[in-house]
Amino acid sequence: MAKTDAALLLHFYEDMLRIRFFEEKIRDVMLPQKLFRGSSHLSLGQEAVAVGTVHALREDDSVISTHRGHGHAIARGMDMEAMFAEILGRRTGCCRGKGGSMHLSDASRHFIGENPVVGSNAPMACGLALAARLEGSDRLVASFFGEGALNTGAFNEAANMAALWSLPVLFVCENNLYAISVPVEKSSAILELENRACSYGLSGRRRSGMDVMEVYETVRGLAEQMRAHPAPVFVVFDTYRFEGHHTADKQSYRTKEQVLEEFRAHDPIHLLERAMIDDHTVSLDETIAYRDRTRTEVEEAFARALEAPWPDPKEALEGVYAPGPEAAAASKGVV
Amino acid sequence: MAEPRMRDITMAQAIRTALREEMKRDEKVILFGEDVAQYGGVYGATTGLQKEFGADRVRDTPISEMAIAGMAVGAALAGWRPVAEIMYCDFLAHAADAIVNNAAKWRYMSGGQFKVPLVVRSPAGGGAGYAAQHSQNLEAWFCHIPGLKVVMPGVPRDARGLLKAAIRDDNPVVFLEHKAHYTYKGLVPAEEEVLPLGVAEIKRQGTDVTLVAWSKTLTFALEAVEVLAEKGISVELLDPRTLQPLDVDTLCNSVAKTGHLAIAHEAVTFAGFGAEIVAQVTEHAWDSLKRPPLRIGAPFVPLPYSQPMESFVIPQVADIVQGIEGLLDGTRTGAR
Ligand SMILES: Cc1ncc(C[n+]2csc(CCOP(=O)(O)OP(=O)(O)O)c2C)c(N)n1
Repeated sequence: MAKTDAALLLHFYEDMLRIRFFEEKIRDVMLPQKLFRGSSHLSLGQEAVAVGTVHALREDDSVISTHRGHGHAIARGMDMEAMFAEILGRRTGCCRGKGGSMHLSDASRHFIGENPVVGSNAPMACGLALAARLEGSDRLVASFFGEGALNTGAFNEAANMAALWSLPVLFVCENNLYAISVPVEKSSAILELENRACSYGLSGRRRSGMDVMEVYETVRGLAEQMRAHPAPVFVVFDTYRFEGHHTADKQSYRTKEQVLEEFRAHDPIHLLERAMIDDHTVSLDETIAYRDRTRTEVEEAFARALEAPWPDPKEALEGVYAPGPEAAAASKGVV
Repeated sequence: MAEPRMRDITMAQAIRTALREEMKRDEKVILFGEDVAQYGGVYGATTGLQKEFGADRVRDTPISEMAIAGMAVGAALAGWRPVAEIMYCDFLAHAADAIVNNAAKWRYMSGGQFKVPLVVRSPAGGGAGYAAQHSQNLEAWFCHIPGLKVVMPGVPRDARGLLKAAIRDDNPVVFLEHKAHYTYKGLVPAEEEVLPLGVAEIKRQGTDVTLVAWSKTLTFALEAVEVLAEKGISVELLDPRTLQPLDVDTLCNSVAKTGHLAIAHEAVTFAGFGAEIVAQVTEHAWDSLKRPPLRIGAPFVPLPYSQPMESFVIPQVADIVQGIEGLLDGTRTGAR
């Protein structure tokens, strides 16, 4: 900690608070008032992995995420108003209302987007990394996924490919112990998840995902190494989702006590706050000021998003194809 | 004959009833898929089955669609009757190799030495705001593959009776349920009922036009029939129930009676299954048709998330009503 500069820590702190308050808004306001559709997958409890990883990357590195990607998007600097507007289904949403909570993306920030098809983003990450290599760039690609995704064919093919072709993909496994209801012990034949990398010739690491500094230092080191010698890296961060799989999950597969006692005690935001106060990086009063300020920022983004217009239903027909001679062929389905 | 005793149950309960009855009847019936055992399936279709039949026969799998489908093929080749659940039909894309390249062909390629008695159950459809990767209707994909059967029930009675038939069938069956339809209720006989695959049902008799609809669109069609009746239009509503094999005879007989054909489905119209129905009727009952057939389906777009756009894309009751009015008065305005 002592080595780290205070401004950086405070920046992490702010971003983790943004994620926390953003998602609490979804849980506490948008859910009861039915302001979004489908389901929303909250990453409360996992903020340190998003913030530590993304901040250890360069702005031109690509990030590709999962259904649980609000945190990655915010850490990437996405505009919270555009994110809220998207989840509300408004025209001003980052995807013009076409994507919703599971499909946030922002090309301008190299946030390729959330991809809720589990495992599917790993091969895409390889393609993004291949592009960087072909261009002679030292850009990296971070691919986030849960421990459940390790069992997909897509991940396994991508891991081999990345190693075979020395593609600079940072495979970031957010091990939150559950894939919907299935605990990791019932989905993975080996529990040393980092060792799954060995069979592909990848180097594997495993660290705490609750300590943002540990995440940051780990990824920073790996990124430096990957830029110097392009090759994929696999890192497992142990973390926990405080909420259900999605907003409607009753969590019949785990007990409330387990959640609260074991894991809330390791709340990544509290851990950082405590560390910063102990270190005199910040005073208790200042943490309160930070919280108030960030909460207001989130409130204002939400209030503005609520004012945003709805799309015209016919906008559904736009944007299927890039403009070109065939664009007119996008029929209306009228036969 | 006494009327059968009926119970009012949901689609999810009807599916669970079929699974339970078949597992009781035949110990070779086994179930696996993501979150199906302890959790009971994300739509509750398998709740309680692991408790009742044990962890050997009802299993949670990792997120491994290729393995789930491939394993079902292997187990079926070995004489078991696996019912595999793929959590969203969109992810049948991951499972497609096993279903399309192996399950559909093993019997044929082996000259009939093997059979592949498996069922893949999977929720299809939109309407709940899950956006483009969790809302597709992909029945046309699977209907195009010789060796597969494809079922899409529209009411609980059919769901239960057809799933039982699918499990007993010695061929691979893709059984598509609608995710926004699991809580839809309907009457189901208390006694066992197995409904044959490949037999359509006339859900409403009528004289002016044959309307073909299945899955959740059937419920919209039922409403449209009422609205049109008030306007003096008599609709014969036909649910094919199984798309592969398709009951062409019942279809053509109905068109012979009404002279008009409309098809309503939630999938994209272009190259959708409605096209096959039109082709069958124009080939086999051309002389019955007084006007060109009409397809009412989704425009050629992925399903958008936002409510106004989503309801614009998914054919609604009003789209069916307007479409049929246009078909009959020759204007075809308002049809999609
Ligand atoms: C290919 C595929 N199969 C199944 C699903 C349904 N599904 C969505 S999230 C999820 C669990 C994912 O678990 P994990 O990868 O551990 O990520 P977490 O939700 O814990 O962040 C499943 C099975 C899906 N979206 N994609």
